[in-house]
Amino acid sequence: MVRATRAKPTAKADQMDAGAEGARIAGDLQATLLRQTQELADEVARLKALALAFERWHQDMISLMEQNRGMRGVGEDLASIVKQLIMLSLNAAIEAARAGESARGFVVVAAEVRSLSLRAQTLSKDLGKNLHKNDLMTTATFQDIQAGGKLMLAAISGLESMVRQLRGGIE
Amino acid sequence: MSEQAKQNIEQAFHRALRASVIRAPEDVCAIAPATGPELGGQPGETLLVITISTFVFRLLTLFQLAANPATRAYYVSEATGQSLDEAFREVANLCCGALNRELSQHFPHLAMSIPYSLSRQCVAFLGELQPHYLSSSAITINDTVQLQATLCMCCSAPVDFVASAPD
Repeated sequence: MVRATRAKPTAKADQMDAGAEGARIAGDLQATLLRQTQELADEVARLKALALAFERWHQDMISLMEQNRGMRGVGEDLASIVKQLIMLSLNAAIEAARAGESARGFVVVAAEVRSLSLRAQTLSKDLGKNLHKNDLMTTATFQDIQAGGKLMLAAISGLESMVRQLRGGIE
Repeated sequence: MSEQAKQNIEQAFHRALRASVIRAPEDVCAIAPATGPELGGQPGETLLVITISTFVFRLLTLFQLAANPATRAYYVSEATGQSLDEAFREVANLCCGALNRELSQHFPHLAMSIPYSLSRQCVAFLGELQPHYLSSSAITINDTVQLQATLCMCCSAPVDFVASAPD
């Protein structure tokens, strides 16, 4: 009985100590969580700057497409010159044939020019095709990156909203 | 990519086309399979590309329309002073927006690029992207306006889903 009455205040004191300790731990935990939530919020805010990188890529893509367009223009000019060369070499071959024996050497030259013109025409066509292929592949890749960027920004916005909710819960 | 996914994407695309390429509700929009992605080499064709991407696939949508008087009269309002390319850009954006919304019911992380105009010859090189699915549709509006729409899908993981058609 005596032992029981003596033990009571000790238990109460222990409970009070435990309560104070619990409150201190909870306070420390809350402070830690708030600090970590703030760090997370800062990191999310930094990630939002990705939008600037996407804008830069967009500008780069426009420049690249402009450059491709310029190259296509050059390719078309080249194709036009090659076409004229073929006509010219054909005319030269006809004229050389008309001139007969005296222009035998010129016949060979005209045939060689024609052969070179035809090779140039093949190269010019290949160049045109490659430029179109390049345009499509560049656009497809860039649009994928652009849409992927939007996906990432949406995910970051989701994270931002979760951080806000987390902070509200902790406070 | 499963056959079911191919069918579902095509059907979703056709629904999006029917909802967005016509200018008035009473207009008649007929969609039929096309033999290839090329409209037929009509001069002044417009080719617009928009990509819908997710982590497991990218879906290129390509729209071609001939810059003839009938098409111009249908899509371009004289009052706005827009070019056919500008006017159709809005239409293509609406169409892909509708497709994007429908697909986002099955793929939660989905985003769409902005439209780009390309030369019509580019469409011949779609095979270079090594697509898992390539399908073209010929669209006729009121028996006068003709356009061609192509889906080109490249997957980086198996894709399958069951779509439920909206009412």
